[in-house]
Amino acid sequence: MKGRYDMIQLKDVSYVRLGSPDLESAESFATACLGLQIAERGRKDLYLRSDERSHTLCYSEGDPNDQTVGFEVEDEASLQEAAATLEQLGRAVHAGTTQEAEQRKVRAFIGFRDPTGNHIELVVRPERSGRRYFASRDAGITGFSHIGLNSTDPARDERFWTQVCNARVSDRIGDIPLMRVNAIHHTIALVRAPKAGIQHINHQVESSDDVLRSYYFLNARRVPIVFGPGRHPTSGARFLYFKGPDGMIFEYSVGVDEIEDEATHRPRQFGFEPTSFCMWGAKPAGMTLPNN
Amino acid sequence: MNNGRATPLITSVCYVRLAVSEPSASARFVSDIFGLQRVADQDGEIAFRSDDRFRTVSLGPDSADGASVGIEAWDDAALEEIGRRLRENGFAVKEASVSDCRRRYVQSALLAEDASGNRIDLVVRPTRSGRRYFPPRDAGIVAFHGVGLRTIEPARDLAFWRALGAEVSDWVGDIAYLRIDGLHHRIALYPSQRNGLLYAAFEVEALDQIMQNSYFMQESQIRIVQGPGREPASRQMFLHVAGPDGTIFSYVNGMAEIDGKPRPARQFPLAANSLCDWGSESKDVPELRAPGG
Repeated sequence: MKGRYDMIQLKDVSYVRLGSPDLESAESFATACLGLQIAERGRKDLYLRSDERSHTLCYSEGDPNDQTVGFEVEDEASLQEAAATLEQLGRAVHAGTTQEAEQRKVRAFIGFRDPTGNHIELVVRPERSGRRYFASRDAGITGFSHIGLNSTDPARDERFWTQVCNARVSDRIGDIPLMRVNAIHHTIALVRAPKAGIQHINHQVESSDDVLRSYYFLNARRVPIVFGPGRHPTSGARFLYFKGPDGMIFEYSVGVDEIEDEATHRPRQFGFEPTSFCMWGAKPAGMTLPNN
Repeated sequence: MNNGRATPLITSVCYVRLAVSEPSASARFVSDIFGLQRVADQDGEIAFRSDDRFRTVSLGPDSADGASVGIEAWDDAALEEIGRRLRENGFAVKEASVSDCRRRYVQSALLAEDASGNRIDLVVRPTRSGRRYFPPRDAGIVAFHGVGLRTIEPARDLAFWRALGAEVSDWVGDIAYLRIDGLHHRIALYPSQRNGLLYAAFEVEALDQIMQNSYFMQESQIRIVQGPGREPASRQMFLHVAGPDGTIFSYVNGMAEIDGKPRPARQFPLAANSLCDWGSESKDVPELRAPGG
């Protein structure tokens, strides 16, 4: 990282956009299994809600390798500063057009790729909905919360996210950082992988009852459970990972710790072993642990 | 629950004595797998601890004085009152001999039978231990919690427990959850084709231990009868594990407390979602199943 630049201040994760060749299957999984609410159904787009926001997940007809994650920044001035910072560091920045911003239900946005090549968008004023969230099934979802992001070089990408985007490391498992952008233990979990992509999409649920209920519910519907029910010793969250359309992994979890003292928190180091990922004894099946 | 008395007649479920075909093989399950502390081997019975009591589980050979459930009575006056009430209601009761008491690690006892033929020991001053409980593995067991009993005479068996001061907290079909202290239930009666102990339940620290034990059983290739699950009526989480000779050993946590204002017993239908909130089902234990479940 060369020269002086303004640190980009991420406020929260905002949405995920996924390409899919089969919007019908995506819709049926999102409503009957995952339990999201349909916000809007376009000819080539499907907008889904999980909380007070207008949408947090959008499927667009297209290539399932097209995966984008959006983060909110403070205001349009911050967005301009962020674009300048990225360009200064030699990253190509796409300024979102009005039409593209409308598609994303945001006031303005820019797009770029992180060092691994993940497609990242920074957005300003993402829309909220006046109506409360009403789930399509009683999965107990309280909101979209974090993503697992592929990384071809976790140490390099940790530097990018912490030194350019103001993310902070909450804990590490081996050399895998769990990073926060606000008080929540982590919003970005890097995952060692051969190529760019979103490794999992997390939604928070109300209680551990919901995690266990969904375990039996999804099992009965033959949705592949790839990890859990379990509990992460890092964040303290009880979790369940399962596979959706186009191989995307979704996670329900509850009880993610908050970092109480931002100033004094020191990342804890966990060994790279199964018990660092699950303290109950669950073993991943059909899902690789980061680093493998 | 005190039937107008200043103190209750009974205060706890304090032990189960199991009659098993192979006591030493079963003992390995109880200590190495389930996680209770083996403490004594006396009069042909192997004794195990789960808390500050001297023992809460015994395994003995399948003999005449084999199996029983121990219920702690307040004192000898309460024991006398219990004897009077049970005889009045037509139940068989006899005084325990010195050797009966020694075998049970208690000071005095009445040996009773409910209408189904389940042996219930009403005991006074069960032995406690001065040393703290130290289990052989980290299963997180905190205390012996209670029992599920099979009943072939639900109405008469309920009369037996009511004579001791127990109250029905809730019904699931004709399954009765019986309260003897501030918790939702310590004893549950399950209508069945036969009598006997259905399960012995041990409280663990938290959901963590229910789940850890669930994965431990899977890895040890021990059959899980039902769970992890949660009883809607009592809010109790459970893992029912297949124990010796068909007896279920259960890990439980989170049972609701019932204190303060009395409320009538609630009726839940005999359906799968009345037995488990999460969706677990028992494949092969009929007492834990709902029809069509």
